[in-house]
Amino acid sequence: MAQTFIMTKAMPLGDMVFIIVAFLLLMVILKKVAYGPLTKVLDQRADKINKDLDDASKKSADANTLVEQRQKELSESKTQASQMIATAKKSAKEQSDALIQAANTQVAGMRQSAEDDAVQMKEEAMTTAKKDVADLSVNIASKLIQKELSADDQRALIDAYLAELGQQ
Amino acid sequence: MDEPTATFSLLGLTFTWTTVLSTLLAMSVVVLVAVFLTRKVAIRPSRGQNVIEYVLDFVKGILGDQLPNNLARQFGLYSFTLFLFLLISNEMGLLLQVKTASGVTWIKSPTADPLIAFSLAIMSLTLAHATGIKTLGLGGYLKNMFLKPYAALFPLNVVEQITNFLTLALRLFGNIFAGELMLNLLASMASSLHGFGWIPALPLEMAWQGFSLLIGGIQAYVFVMLTAVFTAQLSGEE
Repeated sequence: MAQTFIMTKAMPLGDMVFIIVAFLLLMVILKKVAYGPLTKVLDQRADKINKDLDDASKKSADANTLVEQRQKELSESKTQASQMIATAKKSAKEQSDALIQAANTQVAGMRQSAEDDAVQMKEEAMTTAKKDVADLSVNIASKLIQKELSADDQRALIDAYLAELGQQ
Repeated sequence: MDEPTATFSLLGLTFTWTTVLSTLLAMSVVVLVAVFLTRKVAIRPSRGQNVIEYVLDFVKGILGDQLPNNLARQFGLYSFTLFLFLLISNEMGLLLQVKTASGVTWIKSPTADPLIAFSLAIMSLTLAHATGIKTLGLGGYLKNMFLKPYAALFPLNVVEQITNFLTLALRLFGNIFAGELMLNLLASMASSLHGFGWIPALPLEMAWQGFSLLIGGIQAYVFVMLTAVFTAQLSGEE
């Protein structure tokens, strides 16, 4: 290395070559040290952001679909429920109507048979009473015809008769 | 630029120590910063990674405004490196200038040297022209460069290509060089006025340093943006 310290005006060519070569060298170093890794990371970050955005929009679409589906299902089940309630109400009413109807019929039947019984019993009683009265009249008549009676006898007779009645 | 310089020769080429040392220092700082900020690169960024990702996004934003996607991607590494190097280079001279008693400046902002600014401009424009040829083919590239929008504008277009080159380099060099010159003048003012010069010089120096900090950032941005603009123009993307 020929080094000489000379006081002279600068000769351009050597300096120019030096600057340009040094600059190219600096470019190589910076590419290795900073530009390369940074560009790589920036690209990776851009990729990641793109991917995340895609994911997010896909997820949001999925969520929307799910919400719609759930909404549909919910409204379906609401309809179903109100239908079920209506059916239940209807059938309950029908059942209660039938029960009341049946009870009414039964009550009416019971009343009818009670009335019938009463009428029959009354008729029986009347028949019996008629027969008794007839018997009694016959008895009294026969007793009256058998004897002319004194007042005492009459009384004794009436008492005896009453006693007889009382024993019956 | 009649200051004395220290040079050395190697392989028949002459190198200036100031250029070599300043450039190497700036590049070392760039590498150190880059390594420090990207110790742990992860999908979830840490604080350091956020900073350098912001820089990368910023550069990508500059490219995205000017270039179609495929070109913006191709120019990503170049522009990222260029921006970091220019940013560190432009601000470096504000902190550090090494000057020996003999008047030789050993270290300063690399971009305060016209040669470095021109070298960077040559590199950027070579890339831009090469991209133009690659995109449009040689015929289409020449036609696009010289005969658009009208063939009659050929002379103006030739001038434009030359001025593009000159302004790209000189804008960078001029801004940074002027900034450092002013700082040096203010610094020399500090030792004048019978030792009381520092009283006015200190606030002025601080203000100018703040201003230069801003200028350095803006010039790094402008250089990267103009590279993208020229590439877009030369590839027929307008």
